[in-house]
Amino acid sequence: MRSKVAQRILAETPEETKIFARLYADIVVRVNQLLKENKLSQKDLADKMDKRPSEINKWLTGEHNLTLRSLAKLHAELGEPIINVPQRKPIAISEGTTGYVTVYRNASVNTTDVEYTNAWKKSKTNNKTPLANVS
Amino acid sequence: MYFCLQTNNKVNIFALEIWDDEGAKCTFYTVKYENFDTNETDLFFEKYDAMAEYKEANQDLLSFILLAIGNDHGAIDELFNRAENEVKGLPVQGKVTVDEITYHYPDFPLRLYALKITNNIVILFNGGIKDGPTNQTSSLFVEWRAACEFAKKIEIALRDGTIIVDEKNRKLNNYDGSDEIIL
Repeated sequence: MRSKVAQRILAETPEETKIFARLYADIVVRVNQLLKENKLSQKDLADKMDKRPSEINKWLTGEHNLTLRSLAKLHAELGEPIINVPQRKPIAISEGTTGYVTVYRNASVNTTDVEYTNAWKKSKTNNKTPLANVS
Repeated sequence: MYFCLQTNNKVNIFALEIWDDEGAKCTFYTVKYENFDTNETDLFFEKYDAMAEYKEANQDLLSFILLAIGNDHGAIDELFNRAENEVKGLPVQGKVTVDEITYHYPDFPLRLYALKITNNIVILFNGGIKDGPTNQTSSLFVEWRAACEFAKKIEIALRDGTIIVDEKNRKLNNYDGSDEIIL
């Protein structure tokens, strides 16, 4: 159940507005989570970044629009990416035909490129009904 | 579902009703004065939707509430502004904090007031344009005071057990389990 007024206005809202609202909230939540995980206060972060605490506070409360540069600085200081840009990788769909998949990479994990295939390996048939492993 | 919070003062008779429960993380309630056809939150969004200079900000705020809070994150503290909006002087210890939903964007003009019950249940009130450094000096002063009054009465009903929080189902119930109460 949703208010009819909310339904109407949301239906008229441009898609980019909805995407921006979600993305900005994701970033604010992500930065705050990383601060907690690293046991850093906003003041600690400001000291590490050689900025005034008030400036960091403005980043995290929306008083300043976050720029790509500020996101990169936060990434560098907090040691983890704030945003993730997906890449397109080619895959073989069938002989002579290729397609693409979207790959999200995580900078903190080393990965190697693998050859994608659409052929499924047949798994071993298990005729027994699986039971819980209780001894 | 419909709650009626009634006091001896006729001015303060109002109902509590679900405004949105379609999000994955949070149920939003709103308040409606007795004899009014429209609840306070719809009045806010309708008003600023009709004003060309605030239409876009209104859409931003609605998306933030329904999608970012309601569907993605719930009512976590990082997404609320708790500046200068405490209501004190309740008959019991403690205080009611009326939160201010501030969209994360520089110089955002609109404010909508809310009472956060849990991370999954929020009551939305009315709001206005933040055109001064404080609520007291802004044109939304009347809406802020009204939100504080709503919040005080709801908080008392929660404390004395008239309203029970059903966290599992993300809803508010009457003390006897029904979904309609009169105080």
